[in-house]
Amino acid sequence: MQCKFFGKLAGGVAAAAIYFAAAHGAAAQSNEVIMQDPGGAYGEALRKIMYDPFEKETGIKVVTVQEARSGPRIKAQVDAGKTEWDLTFIFDQETKLLGDCCLADIDYTKLSESAQKTLATMPDNLKRPKGVALQVIGVALAYNTEKYTGEVPQNWADFWNVEKFPGTRCLPAWPRFVFEAALMADGVEKEKIYPIDMERALKKIEEIKPHVSKWWTTAAQAPQLLLDGEADMCMAYAGRINNLVVVEGAPVDMTWNDGFVYYDFFSIPKGAPHYENALKLLSYRLDAERAAALTQEYPVALPSPLVYEAAPKDVSRLWANNPDNIAKAIAWSPDYWGAQSEDGRSTNEEYGQEKLNALLAK
Amino acid sequence: MSATAVHTAGPTVSLSERLKDPAWLLLPAAAFLAFIYLLPLFDLFRISMSGSSWSVHFERVFAVSLYWDSLVRTMQISFTVALLCLFFGYPTALLIHKTSGWRQAVIATAVVLPYFIAILIRTYSWMVLLGKNGPINKLAVALGIFDQPAQLLFNRGSVLLGMTAVLLPLMVLSIYSSIARQDPSLVRAGQASGAGPLAVFWRVLLPLTLPGMGAGFLLVFVTALGFFITPTLLGGPGDQMFAMHITQQADFATSEGFLQALAVVLLVITLVVVAIAGRFLGFEFIWGGNKLSDSTKPSKQRHPGRWTGGALSAKIADGIGWPLMRLLSRMPVNTGTWTVRALGGFVLMMLTVPIVVVMILSFSKASFLTFPPPGFSLRWYEKFFSDTEWMTAFTNSLIIAAMSAVFAVTLGVMAALGIVRSSIKGKSAIMLLLVSPVIVPPVVLGLSLYSLFLRTDLAGTMGGLAAAHAIGGLPLVVVIMAASLQGVDRRLEQAAAVHGASPLTVFRTVTLPAIAPGMAAAAFFAFLHSFDELVLSLFLSSAQLKTLPLRLWADVNYQLNPVLAVVSTLEVLLVVGGIALARPVLAGRSKALA
Repeated sequence: MQCKFFGKLAGGVAAAAIYFAAAHGAAAQSNEVIMQDPGGAYGEALRKIMYDPFEKETGIKVVTVQEARSGPRIKAQVDAGKTEWDLTFIFDQETKLLGDCCLADIDYTKLSESAQKTLATMPDNLKRPKGVALQVIGVALAYNTEKYTGEVPQNWADFWNVEKFPGTRCLPAWPRFVFEAALMADGVEKEKIYPIDMERALKKIEEIKPHVSKWWTTAAQAPQLLLDGEADMCMAYAGRINNLVVVEGAPVDMTWNDGFVYYDFFSIPKGAPHYENALKLLSYRLDAERAAALTQEYPVALPSPLVYEAAPKDVSRLWANNPDNIAKAIAWSPDYWGAQSEDGRSTNEEYGQEKLNALLAK
Repeated sequence: MSATAVHTAGPTVSLSERLKDPAWLLLPAAAFLAFIYLLPLFDLFRISMSGSSWSVHFERVFAVSLYWDSLVRTMQISFTVALLCLFFGYPTALLIHKTSGWRQAVIATAVVLPYFIAILIRTYSWMVLLGKNGPINKLAVALGIFDQPAQLLFNRGSVLLGMTAVLLPLMVLSIYSSIARQDPSLVRAGQASGAGPLAVFWRVLLPLTLPGMGAGFLLVFVTALGFFITPTLLGGPGDQMFAMHITQQADFATSEGFLQALAVVLLVITLVVVAIAGRFLGFEFIWGGNKLSDSTKPSKQRHPGRWTGGALSAKIADGIGWPLMRLLSRMPVNTGTWTVRALGGFVLMMLTVPIVVVMILSFSKASFLTFPPPGFSLRWYEKFFSDTEWMTAFTNSLIIAAMSAVFAVTLGVMAALGIVRSSIKGKSAIMLLLVSPVIVPPVVLGLSLYSLFLRTDLAGTMGGLAAAHAIGGLPLVVVIMAASLQGVDRRLEQAAAVHGASPLTVFRTVTLPAIAPGMAAAAFFAFLHSFDELVLSLFLSSAQLKTLPLRLWADVNYQLNPVLAVVSTLEVLLVVGGIALARPVLAGRSKALA
């Protein structure tokens, strides 16, 4: 009797578990597309300009998942044969590292007409079989205009010059961008940065370290630190700073001198549950008019001249793909960071991260 | 089911004997843990050794000074935090013990309440308190201590402060249960023999509560080893703890194997510490010091003896400690009492003020965090309740927590019955297995579960997440229920059985009512455990399934807005409500554990 009672109980629990597992399985089949999302102000702009109209037009629900880096998750999911995501943005170097194992080919022929038109204006390197560049990203020097009223910092040498520009700094807690900036501050010419002399960069970073109030880890932190007065001068993502300058009129500004320009690629993982829907959403985002409208809400642009032309000049002034800005910035090298490190144990990025962590922990 | 097989193996055994040996009740919990807990951990070891040679990833862990330094730093931070908790926790426990009536209720609540509030929320409240616009800075500037707001966050001090505050309740409860367990007549006997308050403390109270102190110290130390949330939010780059490397490394696509090796190192170190501690203290310290075979073999409880019996420790106590005490006794008679009150009062402030500040801030008019608020409004409550994402996360958390509580209680009650009522051998080892999830760092557990969940389609399901949370909920239930069951008078059951009640009827009409309060408390704790859980969810959730702590975590990292204060306030209300409802039961629990 007793065991029957517990048997029933255990059976009930198992049934409940199966029910919920099944409910989830059913949900995965439904008409939706699962999209990685940057969150924050950018995420809200995407929702308003892209996802909500897309849902209305197509009846396909856009489910967003906030995740800073998708590479390892995609690999784990594909390895296990349980892909959850349909569309993800991944780093340039990761389209190569993960291309063969984990990313599906994008069927460009199935994209909409307007998307094809936009793609025709983009260089081949930005429309790879395994990924298409949907956003051009800039990393640049930003500062508080209430703190620096007279002369403003112009480049990384100024950033490192705490006598001329007293105040606190903030930098990303990553080797990428920071090592390059340190080398430029140390007098290395733009053309000779790669391959990076890590020891030299670290030595230079040690100089600025006492003045760095926060080593940030998510894109939204740097602008927030500037606004809160926790830092006076930061290396920050250009998009959000643009947004603050142009849309909100906040007391911050930035310079494109010595800035970094690179592209975020969008890929469809192998075995994505809604491959066709992902293509539809991709088409939607590649439409030049809509992409231009997006930049008015949040100034991260699609790397196509069509979009650049379609946007008002005051909006595109600070864009990463404004030719004036590109001329001042340097082309950041994802290939270097994705390459194997000298000790052969990992990539340059991981190796540099270990070195930087060790320095910061000192 | 296998349970039935065991049961029918002895068809001729009599009714009472059947009741006597319900060891098979342990099977469901054992199967559950084997599948969702042990299997993934074995897998973790396997992957960590999957490089070109088995040791290649471990070589990297120990060859790169970063990780070694971080390991040393993690030990140092954990040790310091445990010491601080002991220093502040002991007087607080004494204070609870010495007061009575409503005062005791207030003090005990002030300690217990934070214990049940999510670590994430308590850490967040310290961020608010220590921030540039926070009350401490504002006060110091107003008093002229600082010229301008100082940077109080993101340094070693704020990490130690935050971790100590978060872990203090654990220490206080540990010590209190050992103080409350003492025979009060011992203290009176000491006083009657002419010993002063210091002598009573040094010669009677302290030696008798040493095991409680040791248990508390180890629990805090071991928990701190795997800490991730608090150092991430309150620390600077110089305060990286080992668990943080694991989450950072999880961001690199190429780190398979090495990532698992980091987790294995953390796990092994934790287990070694626990094993060494278990040698000296007995492993019972993990589940609150109550030896299970107490009721049958009272002679076995001799642990305090290990501490007081050593000739060396007695010599040290008499040779060094005693003269020191004599010196201290020259101070006014009340000094001791006042020290206890001052330290205890300070601790109560540390535990309650951050929460109160956050609750006030949730009614702020301002769109950023500044204290005192420039004005009051309900706008952030409106934002919370009208935001579908917050509401979905909130409902998800409620459902998952309820399911998780059902899992944990079902498995835990059966296991507790199995372990208390059966004559199975190796009870301590079984108990150790059942409660061991408590000591495994959540980061390690989350990482190990991720691949299992992907392979079995559990990732991103409510059932899966609830089951994962139940790994940590199960030990809570087992401990509470074991204590509760030991309090049931077996003779009542026998009487019912003699009068012809079937085993099920006996269970339903006699046993169940007796343990029902304990079950309610256990369910509540299991529910809260899941409701607050963040680290496992970080690994196991999916696009469609966001829980409240996950949403909080995303926002805490993004920007500190007052919506977080609203969520914190609601959680505090939930816990207060739950504790108020469960108070009679809680009283029973502390008695049962004592």
